[in-house]
This record gives sequence, structure tokens and C-alpha cells, in this order.
Amino acid sequence: MEYPKVLELMKQRASAVRTVVSEVRSMREVLDYVLDITRKQEGSSVAAPDFCRGSAALAALCEKNGLALLTENLRDHISKISTGLTMARWGIAETATLVVDSTSEDLRIATMLCETHVAVLPKSNIVPDATALQEEMIRMFEAAPRYLAFISGASRTADIERVLTIGVHGPQELHVLVLEADEL
Amino acid sequence: MIKTPSDIKEYRKNLKNALGNQFLGTTLDTFASAYPASRENAFAGIDFDALACDIAKAKDEAIPNLEKLLGEFTTKAVRAGVTVHFARTAFEANSMIAQIAKDNQVKRIVKGKSMTAEETFLNSFLEREGYEVTETDLGEWIIQLRGEGPSHMVLPAIHLSRRDVAELFTKVTGEQQDPDDINGMVKVARRELRQKFLEADMGISGANFAISQTGTIGLVTNEGNGRLVTTLPRVHVALIGVDKLVPDLKSALKILTALPRNATGQAISTYVTWITGATECKSAESGRKQMHIVFLDNGRLALSKDPLFAQALRCIRCGACANVCPIYKLVGGHNYGHVYIGAIGLVMTYFYHGLENARAIVKNCLNCQACKKVCPARINLPDLIKAVLRTVYQVEGKKPIRNIMLQKVLADRRLFHFMLRRARFAQKPFAEEGYIRHLPMLFSGEHGFRSLPALAKVPLRDMWERLNPPVENPKYRVALFGGCLIDFVYPEQAEALLRICRGYGVQFEYPMDQTCCGLPAQMMGEKETAREVAIQNLKAVDPARYDYIVTLCASCGSHLKENYIALVAGDSPLAVKVAQLKDKILDFSSFVTRVLGMVPEDFKSAGQKVAYHAPCHLCRGLGVTREPRKLLEISGLEYIKSKDEEVCCGFGGSFSADFPELSAELLRRKLNNAEATGAEVLVTDCPGCVLQLRGGTKKRGGQINVKHIAEVVCDQRKRI
Repeated sequence: MEYPKVLELMKQRASAVRTVVSEVRSMREVLDYVLDITRKQEGSSVAAPDFCRGSAALAALCEKNGLALLTENLRDHISKISTGLTMARWGIAETATLVVDSTSEDLRIATMLCETHVAVLPKSNIVPDATALQEEMIRMFEAAPRYLAFISGASRTADIERVLTIGVHGPQELHVLVLEADEL
Repeated sequence: MIKTPSDIKEYRKNLKNALGNQFLGTTLDTFASAYPASRENAFAGIDFDALACDIAKAKDEAIPNLEKLLGEFTTKAVRAGVTVHFARTAFEANSMIAQIAKDNQVKRIVKGKSMTAEETFLNSFLEREGYEVTETDLGEWIIQLRGEGPSHMVLPAIHLSRRDVAELFTKVTGEQQDPDDINGMVKVARRELRQKFLEADMGISGANFAISQTGTIGLVTNEGNGRLVTTLPRVHVALIGVDKLVPDLKSALKILTALPRNATGQAISTYVTWITGATECKSAESGRKQMHIVFLDNGRLALSKDPLFAQALRCIRCGACANVCPIYKLVGGHNYGHVYIGAIGLVMTYFYHGLENARAIVKNCLNCQACKKVCPARINLPDLIKAVLRTVYQVEGKKPIRNIMLQKVLADRRLFHFMLRRARFAQKPFAEEGYIRHLPMLFSGEHGFRSLPALAKVPLRDMWERLNPPVENPKYRVALFGGCLIDFVYPEQAEALLRICRGYGVQFEYPMDQTCCGLPAQMMGEKETAREVAIQNLKAVDPARYDYIVTLCASCGSHLKENYIALVAGDSPLAVKVAQLKDKILDFSSFVTRVLGMVPEDFKSAGQKVAYHAPCHLCRGLGVTREPRKLLEISGLEYIKSKDEEVCCGFGGSFSADFPELSAELLRRKLNNAEATGAEVLVTDCPGCVLQLRGGTKKRGGQINVKHIAEVVCDQRKRI
């Protein structure tokens, strides 16, 4: 299965788990999106530990809008993270899954303890199913230590009367921004 | 502490209490009704049976090699900075974990959901050692605060209402909680548990996979607590049963395709976490996590070498065997297992938690096959449950008198049939309109919930010659396997079959030496008797002589077709005969529609409105679902679909004598569903179901008539 079919499938499957998938054309749009959603939710900070490209622009944008930008030692800022902005290595269309290399502790904290997680997914890295990533994953595991996360939606539970409730421990929302790789 | 009664009387008292719990009944019924559709949806485009075969095969390749896989895993994990431990017993595992805590000056521990830790009662062990242990999965936290065990492997607090949780959280927080604000209560947990994560020195998780190829563990979770447990504290201990070892990522991904879909109807769980080695942890002195993996044996390695029970280790803990179990639906997990619940719980309890906890619950199986059909690892759960029952009898060295009687009587066809004929006279004073309260010799116990049929005046075998004149130039030579109920209680159902087939060139035969199919013996754990009877029937009905062997009883049919193979396995040349028999067994509807090819022109039009009950052993045992419904339509009847058509009617042979209260409740629901269609007749294709359903309507004065499908189809057949 090729692009744009995989993206269509990913979008369709994402809606079932309330993941918002949007296509963006540039890093500028990514930053605008992050700013917009953080403001809308009255957030106060953006955690972006692995954001190299565009980091200067992000810093400027945060400063201009009175948002704290957190890029390291996130353990000291737990409970203060509004939006977590990270990269996703791959997308798995069949299950609307993001594959995020979370080996760095800061990155884990940014994706686990934020209110809203925004992930940037390179358009060319969407595969139809997990099997397609088998070789890549094995290679990553072999370069241990490695903490690899499949993320498919916001944190959820149905433990009280089987009523689906979002945001029990982790993020309350997951947004995926699909971007052309050469914009990265 | 979990208490599971070992005494059947006490157990039945608990069951009765559970039946009286209205919340539980409604909530589990809603769950059971919603589950099949969401599961089907999740598996859309995936061949479930092929996937289940694949998983079973992968597991069967791993199970005999667990020690080797453990060695490979250990090498890889150690290289990546993990300390790997091997615990032979539950006590050893708990002690090791306590020691790890002690060595690292741990005070507070947060836990992710782990059935293996439930198995070893790890929490109470650590608490006794002075540690503060907090479960962080919402459901697990709730039951921990209540001091209970899980009532479902995936949904541990499914037995509790929002009111129960609100009351509990009010107590815990000191603030009034609104039971109707579930979101608010979830946020209370988020707040309270967030604090625990931040304070904890050690995190304990389970794992769904341990991949030998790379020394990776995989965790399948929804809430995200598993990620926090493995990230924030400086020490991480994963407690993993050795049965979770798989050779490679490919096997793990295969299991992952089935696990969330079968468990909760999700295409995937929100988080799947793959951890290889000790990763970065800034709160640890070294900057790297102290990571320990404790592999638990607790009998698993021995089980892996058991010719029969090794397949239980294929279990991937999806909990689906509970989701579809009609008994689980009535009484909940606290009455349907010990730590492990559902069908797999009835099996594993004996091995992991002993005879005392297993002896009562293991009797509580209808053999309806619902669990077997839905198992993603193709574990033959009903068979294993019966095998545990047998083991319990063997270990205790005593069995119910009923078993001893059955063993004696069933093994000797002449004696058995002689007693059945005598029983007809014994019942005489009690018979009224074809019903009696007790059928001597065959049944006992509380049967007040349904009327029981009287034995037929003349058994089928005695009138066979008169009913079945020779056919000139027959096209088909067909043996009828009657079974006890057709032969001695409902010969009219066989008579209907003969009438329907008239003019189609079928020469039927009734091999006179045939006897009970043996399923009742199998159900009661009497495998030797079941085997003896199977051999008698194989001698009586030589498959080489017939084109088809037709049954009117779904239970006989599926027992002959599926269980005989295992019963006479290795017995040359009967094993050959049994394979031939298997290929020739056909149920009534399949014979009439597929072999004889009957068409609407053979029948009158404008028949009655009918509802249909699919016998367990037809729709699952023999896998026949289309033919009976198609036949109803061809024969001009107006078939109306009812709720839960494929859920057991509660008969289950001796089950209804052991657990009459459960049998009665299943029957009540079944009849309610049938009556709700407005049909005049409830049709089914197994005389056992007819007995249960007809007895039930009779008892409650219901308006609906219960008929065997052969009877209604016969009434619709044009005279020739």
C-alpha cells in the first residue's frame, strides 16, 4: 500500500480512537498548530526535548506568547507540561499507531505527562501495518538500551462501568501532524 | 484475600447470591451482548481462525523450548544491562523482589497491572515486608483499595458500579464524589496516582511478551500507567511467567494482532511499550535504570512437558473465554475462578493455586464450547476443564455416586437399555400429559425449574422396522445415530426424519447395537467409560457400510465427530474407522438441504412464525449455522431472529443437575428472548435442548411451543 492510500487508512483508523490527523506543509505550520492548541487549552508550556530543526523559531514563538519552552531535565517540570511536541519515527496506518523512539527520559516524560501530545510524522514514514516495520524494530532493539513506544490515541480507561474515559494517566489528546520529509 | 469455596454447597450459596445481584447481572449482560459485535468489528478483514492457528503453532513451537528461550533472552538482556532472575516458585519470586527492594533502599512501590503478580500475591507479600505498594491501573487500584482480587483479567473491577467507586473514592479522598461523574472520578485517580508515581522508588510491571531474539519485553496497556511505572522510579522490576517467552518479534506481533481485538474489541491498545535493556533514568545515581526481570516458573516448565495440559500455556491472557461464557455472565469472575478467571481460570487454578480452590469451580462448565471458539490460541478449554475434573476425582480418590452408577451402567448397553425400559414403568404413577417430575436413573437433583419428559411408550428401536420399510433402488444408504433421547424419549423426532425423506431414495438403517454416544460420561470426567462406549459404537456403526451417518442430536453428532478421535487415538485400526466416521457424520439440516437438496416446492407455504435456538454442539461443535436457518426458510416457515440465539439454553446434561439455579436462569433468559419475537414455535435441533426448553415453557405456562426442527419441517412437507 502506497501514499496517499496509507494516509487515508491512517486517518480513518485514527478517527476511531479520537486521534486528530492533519497534513501540514511546513515547520512553520507545525509551530502555529502547537501555539494555537496550547493557547486554546490555556496551557502555559511546551515541552520539546527532541526538536532540533525549527527550535530557534519555536523558542522565539514561545517567548513572544508567554509560554515556557522546556527542552531538558523534564523531570523537574512534571505536572507543568501543557503540550508535548515530539517527532514520531513511523506511523502504522492499520491501527493509527505512532512509533516513537522514547529512549531518552525527557522524551518519555514529554509524551507521557503532558496534557496534549502533538507528534510530527514524516509523510514518507507511514507503513500499512506493524509487520512492515519488523526489520527496523529488530535493528533498534539490537542497539540496546532502547525504549520504543507504540502510541495509538490518548490515554484511556473503561474501568468504571466500562464507560470510556480519556486521560486517566497520560495525555488527554493526541494530534498527529503529517509533514513532507524535506520540510524537516 | 481471595476466598474460593472448596465445598460445593458453599459454592452454590455464593452462586445464588450472585444471581440475586441485579447490578452484576445487568452489567455483565450488557457487556456480553456488546462484546461480539465490537470484536467482529475489530477483526474485520482478518481471518481469525487462520490467525489463531498461527498463534497456536508459534506457541507450540516455543513451549517445549522455554528453557532454551530463557537462556537466549538472558544473554541478550544481561548484555543490555538487565539483571535476570529465575524463580521456581511464587514464594521465591516474591522474596527476590523484596530483596531487590531492600538492596536498593526502596520505600514506595508503584505497580502496573500484572496477572502474574496476582498469581503470586506479590502485593500482600511486599506489604508484610513493610513496603507501600500502590496499584496504578485504575481498575486494579480500585480493587486494591477494596481488598479484593480481579473479577476479570482485563477489566478487573467490572463487578463494581459507579456508586461503589464513588463511595470508595469519597473515603479515600475525604471529598464527596458524584457517582454520575465518571470523568471526575477518573481525574481523582489521575491526581492521587500521579503523586504516587513521583514518590515511588521502584516500579513493578508484568509483560505480555519476552522476546528472546533481542531480550526485549513488550507491555500492552491502555491507560499509560505501565509507561510511568517503567519510567519514573529508579528501579524497575518486571515479573514475567516463563510462558511469555517467544522466540522473535514476529511471534510477538502475531499475538499483538489478536490480543487487544479479542480482549476489548480494540484494533490495538493505546500503548504498546517495547523495552530492551536498562534505559536512561535521571533519578538513578548512575543515570541508568536499575532493571530486573524475574521469570516465574511456578509449575510452568513442568506443564510445558505435559502431553495434555501444555496447551494451556498458549494462553495470551485476553480474557475472551470469560467474555463469552454464559456462566461468567451470570455470576461474575469472583465466582468463576480463583485468581485466574474464566475457562482458563478453571484450568489454571488447579495448577497454580491447588486442588482446594479448584475442586468446586471446575464442575461449573456447560461444555457449550463458546470459550473454545473464541480462544485466539485454540486452547481446547472445555476438554481441559473436564481433564482437571477427572484429576480432582483421581487425587481425592472418590467421586460422586452418580459417576460410579454411570460408569457401571453405561459400559453395558444391554443393562443400560434394560434399565431405561424398566424406568418407564417406575415413572408411571407420576406421568401426566407426557411429563414427569423425575426421570429415574438418569437424572437427580433439583429439577423444579422445568418439567421433565416421560419416557416414550415404545422406544425407537422397537418400532424401527415398522417405521422404516425397505426402499427400492435406494440412492443413499444412511445410518441414523439416534442417541438416548431420540431412542427412548423422543422417537417421534426420528419418525419425522423418515417421513421428510420419503420419496428421496434414502434407505435408512438403525444399527441396533448402538448405545449412548458417551458424552455424558465425558462431561462427568469419566474418560474410560467414554472410551468404552465409543468403541462399542464404532463396532455397531461401521462407517464403511454407509454413505452418511445422520444425527438428530447435535451433542451426539459433535461428540462423535470431534471427541471420538482423541478417545480412541492410537488404537489401531479403530483410529481409521473413527476418521471415516468423522467424514460421514451429518446433522439433520445439512443432510436435508445439502445432500437431498430439498427446495421450497417440497413444502407448503405460509407456515407459522418460528424462533430458533442454535444448540451449542451444532453451531460451535459441528460449526453448522446456515443450514438450519436456510431449511426453516425453504420449508415455508417465517423465521424471526431472536437475541442471543447461539447462547446455551442451560441444559449441559449433568450440569443442570449440579447447578440447577444457573441452568434455570439461562433457560429463563432463553425463553424470554424467544417469546419476545412473538413466534408461535421455538425450533431447535437437539433433543437435549428440546428437553430443557419444552420443560421450561411447560413449567412457566408459556405459550410458545418447542419443537425439534425435524418435526416442524415434517409438518410443512407436502404429502407424496
